[in-house]
Amino acid sequence: MKKAYILFLISGFLLGSCSDFDEDINKNPNLPNQASGTQLIANAQLSLPGLASSPKGSSMAQYLAETQYVGLTLYPQESTSFYGYYQGPLENLQTVLDAEDLNAADGPIDNQLAVAKILKAYYYWNLTDRWGDIPYSEALQGADNFTPAYDTQESIYNDLFAELKEANSMMVSGSITNDIVYGGDMDKWKKLANTIRLFMALRLSEVDPAMAKTEFSAALSAGVFTSNDDNLVFEHLADANNQNYWYSQVVERNREWWALSENLVEEMKPVNDPRLAVYGDPARETGEYTGLKFGEEDNIGTEEFALLGSKIFAQDAPVYLVTYAQVLFAKAEAAHRGWIEEDAETNYNMAVEASIEQWTGSSDGAGDFLANPKIAFDAGNALEQISNQRWVHLYMFGYEAWSEWRRTGYPNDLVEPNGNEIPTRLSYPDNEAFNNEANYEAAVGRQFNGDDSIYGKVWWDE
Amino acid sequence: MRNKITCIALLLFFQAFNMMAQQGEVSGTVTVASDGMTLPGVNVVVKGTNQGTVTDMNGNYAINVAADATLVFSSLGFEDQEQAVNGRSEINVAMVEDLEGLDEVVVTALGISRDKKSLGYATQEVDGEDINLTNEQNVLGSLAGRVAGVQVTGSSGASMGGTQKIKIRGVNSISGGDQPLIVVDGTPISNANFSGSDGADYGNLGQDVNPNDIASVNVLKGPAASALYGIRGQYGVIMITTKKGKKGVKDVQVQLNSSFTLEHAADFLPKQNLYGGGSSQSFSTLPNGDPYVAVSVDESWGPRMDGTPVRQVFSFYPQDPTYGQLTPFVPHPDNIENYYETGYNLNNGITVSGGNENTTYRLSLNDTRIEGVEPNSYLDRNNLSLSASLDLVENLTVTTNINYARNDARRPGQGSEVGAAYLNQWFQRNLDMKRLKDYKYDDGTFLHWNLRNPSSTTGEITNFDPLYWNNPYFNAYENTSEDRRDRLFGDVSLKYQITPELEISGAIRSDMYTQNIESRQAFGGTDTPEYSVGKYQNKEWNYELLAQYNKDFDEFSLNATLGGNIFSRKYSYLYMETVGGLSSPGFYNIEASIDRPETTSYLLEKQIRSAFAMVSLGYQDTYFLDASIRNDNSSALPEDNNSYYYPSVSGSMIFSELTDWEPLSFGKIRASYAQAGSDLSPYRTTPAFGVGTVYGSTNTLFVPNNLNNPDIEPSFSHSYEAGLDMRFFKNRLGLDFTYYMQKNKNQIINLDVSGASGYSSSTINAGLIQNQGFEITLTGQPIKTEDFLWDAVFNINSNKSEVVELAPGIDVYTYGSSTYSSVTTYLNSYEGEPFGSLVGQAYQRDEATGEILLGSDNMPLYTDATHNFGSVLPDFTGGFQNTFRYKNFSLAAMIDFQGGGQFFSRSKQLGVRTGQDPITVQINDRGQNVRDPLEDGGGVKVTGISAETGEPVEAYVNARSYYRNVVGRRIYEEWLYDASYIKLREVKLGYNFGKNLIDRLPFDAVNVALIARNPAMIWQKAPDGIDPSSISTGSQSISWYESGQLPTVRSYGINLNITF
Repeated sequence: MKKAYILFLISGFLLGSCSDFDEDINKNPNLPNQASGTQLIANAQLSLPGLASSPKGSSMAQYLAETQYVGLTLYPQESTSFYGYYQGPLENLQTVLDAEDLNAADGPIDNQLAVAKILKAYYYWNLTDRWGDIPYSEALQGADNFTPAYDTQESIYNDLFAELKEANSMMVSGSITNDIVYGGDMDKWKKLANTIRLFMALRLSEVDPAMAKTEFSAALSAGVFTSNDDNLVFEHLADANNQNYWYSQVVERNREWWALSENLVEEMKPVNDPRLAVYGDPARETGEYTGLKFGEEDNIGTEEFALLGSKIFAQDAPVYLVTYAQVLFAKAEAAHRGWIEEDAETNYNMAVEASIEQWTGSSDGAGDFLANPKIAFDAGNALEQISNQRWVHLYMFGYEAWSEWRRTGYPNDLVEPNGNEIPTRLSYPDNEAFNNEANYEAAVGRQFNGDDSIYGKVWWDE
Repeated sequence: MRNKITCIALLLFFQAFNMMAQQGEVSGTVTVASDGMTLPGVNVVVKGTNQGTVTDMNGNYAINVAADATLVFSSLGFEDQEQAVNGRSEINVAMVEDLEGLDEVVVTALGISRDKKSLGYATQEVDGEDINLTNEQNVLGSLAGRVAGVQVTGSSGASMGGTQKIKIRGVNSISGGDQPLIVVDGTPISNANFSGSDGADYGNLGQDVNPNDIASVNVLKGPAASALYGIRGQYGVIMITTKKGKKGVKDVQVQLNSSFTLEHAADFLPKQNLYGGGSSQSFSTLPNGDPYVAVSVDESWGPRMDGTPVRQVFSFYPQDPTYGQLTPFVPHPDNIENYYETGYNLNNGITVSGGNENTTYRLSLNDTRIEGVEPNSYLDRNNLSLSASLDLVENLTVTTNINYARNDARRPGQGSEVGAAYLNQWFQRNLDMKRLKDYKYDDGTFLHWNLRNPSSTTGEITNFDPLYWNNPYFNAYENTSEDRRDRLFGDVSLKYQITPELEISGAIRSDMYTQNIESRQAFGGTDTPEYSVGKYQNKEWNYELLAQYNKDFDEFSLNATLGGNIFSRKYSYLYMETVGGLSSPGFYNIEASIDRPETTSYLLEKQIRSAFAMVSLGYQDTYFLDASIRNDNSSALPEDNNSYYYPSVSGSMIFSELTDWEPLSFGKIRASYAQAGSDLSPYRTTPAFGVGTVYGSTNTLFVPNNLNNPDIEPSFSHSYEAGLDMRFFKNRLGLDFTYYMQKNKNQIINLDVSGASGYSSSTINAGLIQNQGFEITLTGQPIKTEDFLWDAVFNINSNKSEVVELAPGIDVYTYGSSTYSSVTTYLNSYEGEPFGSLVGQAYQRDEATGEILLGSDNMPLYTDATHNFGSVLPDFTGGFQNTFRYKNFSLAAMIDFQGGGQFFSRSKQLGVRTGQDPITVQINDRGQNVRDPLEDGGGVKVTGISAETGEPVEAYVNARSYYRNVVGRRIYEEWLYDASYIKLREVKLGYNFGKNLIDRLPFDAVNVALIARNPAMIWQKAPDGIDPSSISTGSQSISWYESGQLPTVRSYGINLNITF
């Protein structure tokens, strides 16, 4: 019997004492544990169209009115989350910037880093313009800091200028792989970095004109976009995995919820703007371009008004983010302000032409259009004219147009639906008040007297 | 694997120790001492072995034993008797009734049988007959109200075996994901759930146990009771013991059980019947001047349903007999009710059980067929189980339990946007459901009710693609979701009685299933046609070795257990979904995907290796002390830090042994302390990248939103428990009281962090959540006469939880959130508060008076979605079961109840928002309908304080703007309901045919019963039409909002049970 006891004890020991498992048992076989820098950058690029394709953005610039379920266009006081940008593209890009094992097989490592820097700066610039102060210097540190402090918009702008300059100067020859937007062409990335700087500089025209002028000139001489071929455009594919947001809404979900706003149609139709046929489809009832009053709740419908254009919601429609026409509008404005030694009218005319070319595929009709007395450059009314045409040009990138509206006040005939003024910022995510309470409250306190309202004003919005 | 072989080899080796001794036959008759009647079914066992037999119908037995053996005679309700054989060949025994019934044996952790009186912790047993009172489809739901401290949140019967969620002693994990371990005959089985928070509710997998097979369910509530399960037992254990055959030559029993019930949908949300579909109270007109119903509007803010002849949606279909015709615009008050059908549930079971001197067997087969109340829904289930034991040689027994279950179902979708559940949310009161029923015209065109408006030039509708909603019948018949599961679980074990004191056993246990889920979106509906198919396979193995030593020394008793266990799990799935549409109608296959289909192949492997020991000491049958320790090594923990120890200690004293106070039949006090733990899923300790969308030929990878943690440790719970068991008046009255406190530390949670950190959540060890409360079970037989017996069991539990701490710098944990129309609600836990606060937008209120603040348009102002409405958890839950027996009749009724707890109701909210709820047509204090124009005295009266001026305001506002845009959309304070209820869950009225009748038939027993499942909600605090007892939403572990709940199902029927 003793043998049995001993054997039992031994077997119990064998069963119980083993804490050594197969080495790989807790390694996830379902996901890769390595990623190349350019695969991460490519994924970060997939989020680019989301910067523009948003009903809320379109509402901010009053491009589109709602044909049913009127809500967003009444400017509700509601929070908008920025988490997706940090968790998605920004964390990918930060991972590239922090990586110690980038592979030169995907292109010169400096170029991978430069592209990551440019994209990161571009995302951050969009974020700070929308919300104001945001987590920046302490952000994207994962477990090292789950409660990042908010940096002031001013300090973020300063740092972004520096980052973009650094990106511009660190590039070497040689293209990178997996580049969805520029096919690895580093010249284009370089121009993009400088163009973003140019627009950022312009944004400071009211809050710090001197700095705006300096940075603007610096960016310009560093080399900006020279044609529509340089545009930062996200080309959607005719494939459900890579399709346009508006296609999924209008076609897949049957949401004919968006008509061209009366403001937009009234800006374009009287002057026979060739872009109108792309921006919208004529009203089914009349075959005419009739805009729907922005924020209208009662007399709405899908038959009587010009709806979102079928080219705009095509499955593979492009999304324009940073464009040559904007560069020209910026130069026209800078010339008008006396920042640069160029002709405002020339740049204005070129801008309109570039915009028509971008939207319609050719510059046909640009001449006639510019000949229209209402459109032809008028030096006495230059800022309004430039701004209004820029607003028409920035169609479908409502957030950017809204930033320009906040800066310039143009177009100055936008409506106040139901008596609600146009918001001047987005309210921080609700859950920041749970997840990052102290920093959130400090940021709201110093900028907006403790009220995280959509009517607070960001730093550059004087 | 090496260890498994060791274990088996060891057991085979023990066969060699088969001890032999001189044998002789002993026979005799067993009678009842008090009346001399013979007693069948008495166990006659050779002491110290498991060799034995059972007395036959006439109380006779015969057994071969050694001349110096001792026979133990035992039978439930009688005191055990021992008789030394001493060479006798005939031993007759008179059994003495055990009036006190104290020697109740219960199955405890790892299947170890213990005298209940010796336990120092709380367990509560439910008889199989009670569990299976009315053939509840998901047997775990039958625990509702039956065990103090067990909270069951169910789901509608329309899902046919939908999710039943069990929480023992409150919520013990900050993530709310605590689920008890379910163990059937010693085999842990998976209780996974494949449902999401909306769509089809496939139910939790624990329901694969055939209710007819259950002999008893024992709930090990606290870590002390479940300590021997170590890392898997932190949240309690539900031990299910199935019925077995009995030893005895003639004891072959055949039992037939059939039940048939009709299932009705009931308890609908009330609706208004004054205003129909549309968004304004006047009709739009066609070019010819005919008014038409706004078919593009999925709300009921339209014109009055006064019989005006109008073009309704059907009249726009050229195929329709009413094409082009005007028909009266009238309400269809029961249109939603009309959608549901009367279903049925037919259940047939047969069992054969018996045994002979060295074998026992029980074979059972069950077939369930349900046609649900939702059109085109069904569940077919088959259970086959075999349990058998065989004494290979003396002292060596092999036993096996094998259970096979097959499920095949088509279930309805739940949720505010799904199936037919949307009807309560987005619908027109004027729609005739009977017309919608024929959802397909002869030419194949589908009939939908929600279309684009007719052309203002031709007056025709040419595009019949539905706008936002499908005809509900289209959803039911075309957009189907089907699930099938094959499952096998059970064990093979060997038990060897080495000496009378020492027993060693080994077992191999397995649970494996294959779950298939398939769903379709047809051409002709709102969604892109789609097909998805998933195949999920899970295999769990447990290899177990156990040695038990029992010995009585004079006044001491010793019970020692030593064992080891290897748990191994392999889970894999393949899931595929078409993208971008299907290539041809009716061809549902991944091959039909227009674009690159979404596919996932997944593999998960995990092992836990454990060793454990337990010692129990008794003194004078009065004082007991238990101690146990378990070591667990989990492969999911970091490699160099994966071994942890979980100890427990408990003690009890039977103080009734120390007093002669007559009324007290039994009294025990007990106390325990234990640690238990829980680990995490595999692959959470090392970083990995996510696979992103492929753009053209560019592959993308991304950094996942959750941050894994290489330093994770298992969570630990420390639990303290003290209790008192007392029985009075010869057990006519019993009280079982337990106080407990459980501190769950270092929880492994995916803590939501500021997204600005780059991650949405991080896997961390954090927090301390503490639960304390008490459980009371009262049992009684208030009336007991020869003909009449009244048995009552009352359970109540009250639990208070507190999230004592979260992580450093973090004082809120977001368990979940739900966003509708850009308005988000949260379930958060705050440091220093009870678990699970509902958080959302509330009214802005004047600080001084508490009055609602109104804006310049007199509409109520609302806060950010940060208002804390308090905990979702109930204050107390319990149940009350009564059984009455009068002669051959028996009546059993089960009531369960809950006090407190709360939830948001999206069904109610959206019903108001879309103008379907009666509140939107109420008469205001000016005597006018609130929908009437303000200038005619209509409007909703609002009172409050102007936010601008600070002056009190009393005003009337437009009803549609008020309900639709403000209150029904943004102010969740209005949609918060108390979850208290008292529910009559089950009733059974049975009749046992008397011996006189049965003697003339070839039956041993016949019972006929009328049964009712879920017959009535006796009282509830929430509004009619929302069932607070069934707000379970799929796999979501805490139920905190109701959204498109399926209707309550009431079942009435008959049950027939025949024993041969």
